[in-house]
Amino acid sequence: MIEFEEVTKRFSSPPAPGRPPRVVEAVRQVTLGIPGGGVWAVVGPNGAGKSTLFALLLGFLHPSEGRLRIRGLEPRRYVRRHGAAYLPERFQLPGEWRVGAALQALARLEGFRGAEARRRAGELIDRFALTEHAGKPVRALSRGLLQRLGLAQALLAERELVVLDEPMAGLDPLWRIRFRTLVEELRSQGRTILIASHELAEVERIADRVVLLDEGRVRDVMDLSQPAGAAQQYRIELAEPTPALDEAFPGAVAINDAEPPAYLVSVPDPRELSQRLAALLTAGGILVSVQPAAEPLEERVRRALGHGGKT
Amino acid sequence: MTALAVLSLTLRDRRRRLLALIAFAALFLAAGLTARLLVGRGDHGEVDFNQLFLVGGYPLVSGLLLLGWLLGRYALITTLVLMAGIVSHDRSAGYARLYAVRPVSPIRFYAFRFLVLGALAFLLSAALMPAFDFIMLGTWAGPATLVLILAYVLAYGSLTTLLSVWTRADAWITLLLAIVAMVWDALRRAGLLVMPPGVREVITFVLPPQAALLRLEEAFADVQPIPWDAFAYVAGYGAVMLILAGISLLRREL
Repeated sequence: MIEFEEVTKRFSSPPAPGRPPRVVEAVRQVTLGIPGGGVWAVVGPNGAGKSTLFALLLGFLHPSEGRLRIRGLEPRRYVRRHGAAYLPERFQLPGEWRVGAALQALARLEGFRGAEARRRAGELIDRFALTEHAGKPVRALSRGLLQRLGLAQALLAERELVVLDEPMAGLDPLWRIRFRTLVEELRSQGRTILIASHELAEVERIADRVVLLDEGRVRDVMDLSQPAGAAQQYRIELAEPTPALDEAFPGAVAINDAEPPAYLVSVPDPRELSQRLAALLTAGGILVSVQPAAEPLEERVRRALGHGGKT
Repeated sequence: MTALAVLSLTLRDRRRRLLALIAFAALFLAAGLTARLLVGRGDHGEVDFNQLFLVGGYPLVSGLLLLGWLLGRYALITTLVLMAGIVSHDRSAGYARLYAVRPVSPIRFYAFRFLVLGALAFLLSAALMPAFDFIMLGTWAGPATLVLILAYVLAYGSLTTLLSVWTRADAWITLLLAIVAMVWDALRRAGLLVMPPGVREVITFVLPPQAALLRLEEAFADVQPIPWDAFAYVAGYGAVMLILAGISLLRREL
């Protein structure tokens, strides 16, 4: 559905006194194919180019090089024809607008008319529990309420392409859970959902695939959908490194800078894990802890970025 | 897109500016009514300026002359105040991206917003200027008033819209260009421009159509027949600015 082909976006800053003009490549030679349907997350450090990638995808920006198509159309043309659900990173509406009236006006822009626009806005107000705030000016909303309003306006119309930039920012734990449900609903409707986020634990719960961006480049594309029977990952901590680990767990991956020494291992099931741990202990390995790899995505991202990478 | 949506968004955005302009207009009317009540009338029912001079001396007459000059520019002021940020504010605040993801043509969206704001500028000026004339002179300049207002809205509204696609300083640059055009036209009419004739004509053509506006102002002030060729020139200038704004809207990144 979405095809990035060698897409590069450069920004140039004007010269300042004592400083020559500077050219920054926010996105560098990104090649990526995103089929229709499913949840794709884009993760990476601050300034990695996530928002620029979305701006290119929605036609706000034009690529400096390369080609980008959505269903064969140039992005701006696609969006003008089909629309897109979009939540910007820093969602904002004029502070004096009333919540309900703002949603109604945006619903009309989506093509709903009169009573239909009021009904649709009302549905979203209920869905995002904004009823008691509907008469308030936007400026009176807390960060979390504003984010819910942002999600509501994004979902006014049923669009095939859903682009959410930091959708969980400001949401409380309850609304994070509800957000997961919402994403699940959208996925079941066959929508193509792209989410940029720093919340790797949440991303891991909702995304099918993760694109890791760093300095504008795609470092990795990770498939998080685990087919049944696939190997499980565990984190093993030892008192000290031992060659017995490689014998018991061939392919174990050392986690950089972990103290005590830690490793990620993959085994098909708990029975196999127990047998291999027994072999490790028999060979003299001193075990500190064993636990399911709680954040394999975080570890994978850290590894891909190098240990200094922060997301 | 429904026209109602743009109308609603635009009115919400501009509510405070509208109130400020109405208050500004009320100041003119209050000044006119005070003059009307304080001093006697002339032979044709107008406020007698000689009596005004006797009441308040130079300061009062100067004040009223300043008000009169400002009143003549009320259409320009209203247009600039209402049109300022017509596109650029949406861009800088990020609303343009929220609008752009809806299946709405940006040209239709901003064209309609231009029409709404232009109509508001026209209606405010068309209510104030004849009302002030009635109060001060006991008559009004007829349809020439409305044509003059429309010309101001077209010329400076379209220029502000074009600049707004490119810069946040849209109305300030328009105001600067308006002042430059006024000075330039005054120098041109006085024959004080010392430069090759070709250059002079090109600059006159590029600047806002002050010469044409002045002809319309003179027709308004002297209650003369409306110079339609001057109005057509202003309308043509406005159309070119709007076409350039439309092309810019399609090309410019958000």
